[in-house]
Amino acid sequence: MGLVDRGRLPAPLTKLFNLGRSYSMWVYQWGLACCAIEMGAAFGSPRYDVMRLGVIPLPASPRQADLVVVSGTVTDKMAPAVKRLYEQMPEPKYVISMGSCANCGGPYWDSYSVTKGVDQIIPVDVYVPGCPPRPEALLEGVVLLQQRIKNEDMAARWRGEGFTPLQRSESEPIVVGGGPIE
Amino acid sequence: MVVPLSDDLRPSIVDRLRADLGDDLVEVHLIPDVDLWVRVNAAAWRQAGTSLRAAGFDYFCFLSAIDWMPSPYGRGEDDPSAEPAEEDPSASEIRQGYAGGETRFQLLARVTDIRRHVSVTLKADLLEDADGRMSVPSWIPVHAGANWHERETHEMFGINFEGHPDLRNMYLPGDFEGHPLRKDFPLLARMVKPWPGIVDVEPMPVSADGGDES
Amino acid sequence: MTMLSERQQLSYIAAQAADARLNVELETEGMTLNIGPQHPATHGTLRIIARLDGEQVVWAEPSAGYMHRGYEKLTEVRTYPQVTALINRIDWLGSFANEVPFILAAEQLMEVEAPPRAQHIRTILFELSRIANVSLFLGDLGVQMGAVTPVFMAFRDREYVLNLIEGATGGRFHPNFDRIGGLKDDLPKGWIDETRQVMKKLRNFCDEIEDLLFGNEIFQSRTRGIGVIPAEVAKEYGLSGANLRASGVDWDLRRDQKLPLAYDKVDFKVWTHPDGDSWARCWIRLQEVREATRIVDQLIETIPSGPVMAKVPRIIKVPEGEAWVSTENPLGEMGYYVVSKGELGPFRVKIRSASFNNISITPWVLKGVYVPDIITILASLYFILGDIDR
Repeated sequence: MGLVDRGRLPAPLTKLFNLGRSYSMWVYQWGLACCAIEMGAAFGSPRYDVMRLGVIPLPASPRQADLVVVSGTVTDKMAPAVKRLYEQMPEPKYVISMGSCANCGGPYWDSYSVTKGVDQIIPVDVYVPGCPPRPEALLEGVVLLQQRIKNEDMAARWRGEGFTPLQRSESEPIVVGGGPIE
Repeated sequence: MVVPLSDDLRPSIVDRLRADLGDDLVEVHLIPDVDLWVRVNAAAWRQAGTSLRAAGFDYFCFLSAIDWMPSPYGRGEDDPSAEPAEEDPSASEIRQGYAGGETRFQLLARVTDIRRHVSVTLKADLLEDADGRMSVPSWIPVHAGANWHERETHEMFGINFEGHPDLRNMYLPGDFEGHPLRKDFPLLARMVKPWPGIVDVEPMPVSADGGDES
Repeated sequence: MTMLSERQQLSYIAAQAADARLNVELETEGMTLNIGPQHPATHGTLRIIARLDGEQVVWAEPSAGYMHRGYEKLTEVRTYPQVTALINRIDWLGSFANEVPFILAAEQLMEVEAPPRAQHIRTILFELSRIANVSLFLGDLGVQMGAVTPVFMAFRDREYVLNLIEGATGGRFHPNFDRIGGLKDDLPKGWIDETRQVMKKLRNFCDEIEDLLFGNEIFQSRTRGIGVIPAEVAKEYGLSGANLRASGVDWDLRRDQKLPLAYDKVDFKVWTHPDGDSWARCWIRLQEVREATRIVDQLIETIPSGPVMAKVPRIIKVPEGEAWVSTENPLGEMGYYVVSKGELGPFRVKIRSASFNNISITPWVLKGVYVPDIITILASLYFILGDIDR
């Protein structure tokens, strides 16, 4: 992938790669609280069946994962572990923040021990609101992330510039069922 | 299984405790057929546990504490930018609950007799010494399960349990300062911005012609 | 007491002796194994630090607190209806069951009693949340021992129960349906027929799990005689629920206390098992799901008519006093010690959650076991992290 390493990639090739990447995501389930059960229902149950979207919920380690779903309350004691986990993942990596607690602290907004939003520690691509969100909402979050990946400038990602869209028209950040967060 | 219908049982428990503890049993509050509260001296805390255990209360339910001081921050629902309201002197008065008390902190424990289907809530006043430290004998020799409960109480209230092998923090990181369940521990998130539950101050939505939307 | 500490000492000495012997014979060094805080075998974010000698655990200590959200402090700055919404999330698998003891404690202080219909529906939803909770345990049990199929079956059949709860309350997970003085709403039309069908499905699920897991040789050899907890130890640590009954203690708060719930109107059996090992704990839970479906079946036939809400003031102020109410939750005894000062919110709430006591026995029970047994013992003790840390 010499072209990619040099940070130059023709647009059609980028689109082809993006298509492939968006439908072969290995997701690491970082289940923390109530949302973990709904995530389990979305990823592990026959009714919701996430694999039809091209997402494989099987890696046993963050080092094999492309995507992590942070589902549940992140406490201040847990936050270093979350950060370390994120750092162990290989690039390119994506994060879905699932549930109100991971988004902003949720019902524990005034607690002394809860981190008010996982985006204080790691960058988040898609927010799924709800307490807890239904499995369908998480699946929509996965679909939105796939759209985001399809619109990503892959070469910029390789140059270490983070997420750069090919066409700048997306509403950022992406929230399931709504526009940008105020 | 015999379930007591009229409450002869709880007074008999009190009698038995009084025989064992003597003057260390300070006060009793009894609601017939509902529950029993007994306040003992902190010095006799372990002895009360042993005595109850010998009387058949061998099921350990929980151990915790209460801070009776009213919170100096109120309920944290006021707008922090607003002028402070008039001080109500009765609001800062310490009032203890059932079975009375004299100190700000009280220990609280509950044990159950599974055979007779009856429970006792034990309380004990905790005197603070000059440095504000409180100390009470550990209940681990009475009920081994008290171990984690005492760790939790130590962390949340700063009460020391003599003879406890390991009073490390259980929930919070080791460098956490303060004891969260003390009433004078502030919830900082409530201090820095208005409580979002006050919804009535928001103006009602108004449609284009000036009338109410409804 | 003396007997217990002797027993504890003996097991400790045995572990130490094994440790010393191995060290002399093989000149091995102990090692420290860290499991967690995020590990598939710990149902959440429990961290276990175990000191090993070969394959044997010399000493093990769970490290909780990764899910501590400060419930007891937060209840002090919330009003009673807000607390109900919050405490749903303590034991997130049996949410409705968390609300009931708190509401009952508040009602006891206010001297209000819910109408009979509300009590009845409360009991039905209580048992449904038990089914939703424990059926996931039964599925998860297989995963801990390398059998993946049961968890798919559990998620499949649990959805039916969640649909029922959602149909009645509007929330799959956190209903927030209880009100002081009754319930938010009545049951929807057609709900009872559907419940009848679902209970049949759940009994089939129990039969399937029993065939698949409990009859399995590997499952039996990994759980029989492993992690034995004698009755005295169980009581001393305050174990409750199925863990206590698996040690032969016949204690069930549904039967053994008088609460304004409809348990006295149904016929059900409280299962106990004399063994106290992992297998007994799992087996008791299986029977409890069956028993719960029977309770629901009986209750839906006899729902009394009438209102679902008693007369309570619009703004709820609970009179000064203290109350303790505990119920037999899916995980064990869950109780709230509510201290009120006559204000809009509670002055102090001590939450006695079942898992906290259930898991506090792990340093005792893990001493001297083999490493793979850590997982099965923890699985059979069945805890939920939110219920430990609160």
